[in-house]
Amino acid sequence: MTAPTTTVEAQGYLGDVESELADLPADERSELLEDLALHLAALAEDGDDRTLGARLGSPADYAAELRLAAGLPPRSADGAAHGRLAAATRALRSKGTAVAGSRGVREIRSFLPQLRPAWWVLRGYLVVAVPRLRHVDGYDDFPVPALLGSHLVGGAAVVLAVVVSVMLGRRRLPRFGIAAVLVLDLLVLGAALDLVRSQPARLRSHTVYVTANPGDPFVDSPLITEAHGAVTNILAFTADGKALQDVLLFDQDGRPLATGQQHWFADHCRRVLSPPRAADGTPVPFSYPKQYVLDPEGKTLSGSPVTPGQCLPLPLPKVALPVFPKPAAQTAAKPAAHR
Amino acid sequence: MDASQLVKGLLDVAVLAVVRDEDGYGYDVVRRLRAAGLEDVGDASVYGTLRRLYSAGALTSYVVPSDEGPHRKYYAINDRGRSVLEDGSKTWRAFADTVDGVLGISRVAA
Repeated sequence: MTAPTTTVEAQGYLGDVESELADLPADERSELLEDLALHLAALAEDGDDRTLGARLGSPADYAAELRLAAGLPPRSADGAAHGRLAAATRALRSKGTAVAGSRGVREIRSFLPQLRPAWWVLRGYLVVAVPRLRHVDGYDDFPVPALLGSHLVGGAAVVLAVVVSVMLGRRRLPRFGIAAVLVLDLLVLGAALDLVRSQPARLRSHTVYVTANPGDPFVDSPLITEAHGAVTNILAFTADGKALQDVLLFDQDGRPLATGQQHWFADHCRRVLSPPRAADGTPVPFSYPKQYVLDPEGKTLSGSPVTPGQCLPLPLPKVALPVFPKPAAQTAAKPAAHR
Repeated sequence: MDASQLVKGLLDVAVLAVVRDEDGYGYDVVRRLRAAGLEDVGDASVYGTLRRLYSAGALTSYVVPSDEGPHRKYYAINDRGRSVLEDGSKTWRAFADTVDGVLGISRVAA
């Protein structure tokens, strides 16, 4: 009398266990399910009134126990339990029981399904992060993408996407659903790979890398103008516009003022610094303007010999000097006193 | 050897032992183990163990069709299985002796 219900119940149980084993290779899964079908049939003959759940535990528990005993990886990537199982399985197999040739293949096949949960998590992250990373908007989208201008919203979106992605991964889907998810996976993966491929160029265009080249004005020079970068020389003028030579400059604490060294010149000729020397022969680098003379070896910036007529005298930059009042008015009093 | 490996190893030995003298199908093996006193052993554990021993080449299997009930998949021990069983028995004996020794010493001390 219980035969039909048992069959329906058995079918349901079988289906539930099957979905718990969904990540296993098809042949492995089908053999386990075949055994389970025989098992359920044998139970049905037993004439026990208890439900399958009461006799065998929940389908999830049954599947987990079956995996454990059969030496198969657990559904979730639970490292510790699986490590012991894998070790036990390997020990048994290494007694020469496994076909040596196919063992590696089998190990890989049994290993790949474990990567699926990791992919589900990664997929969730990529779905949110990749579009943000592709879209250059001034926000730092790595590792946490900014959404609507907020990393908090972006982070929440990532968490949500990961949860949805994992749920999607764990669900049993109809055939067209699997195909749709596969297409989605490929799109996400493709976009991510494309992003990785183009990333070096992307980084170069947005990030200033400071590399500590010896003599680099950016690193060596304490003097940086706000708009134009490193200061490589200082030109001093008197109020009436006369250019000064050999001016010794010190900072507020009396330390000699250092600037960076100029490496690039418009005529591409290599030049070296030629500071004036003190009586004892030591160079005085804080004497301004710095004097650059042509490289004695006659090389260009790229290291090739200079061609005749290539090197030009260094032009002095044009400076706009303010016009001061005549000396008579200037000496009369402090300027502020006039107002 | 950690505890779970020991338990697994013992289940291997127990399953091999109950099919040593007579071939058995899955649920039959479950019943034999329970009848022998392993009442709490899970069905899934037995089926999983059978599956693993079969994959490892310690058991062979054959199907007996049935007109009335479901057909049955019998498992039979082979030479490899017998050697696994022998190794397992020795390991268990050594382990049991060791534990006996430990218990004996603690009893004397008490």
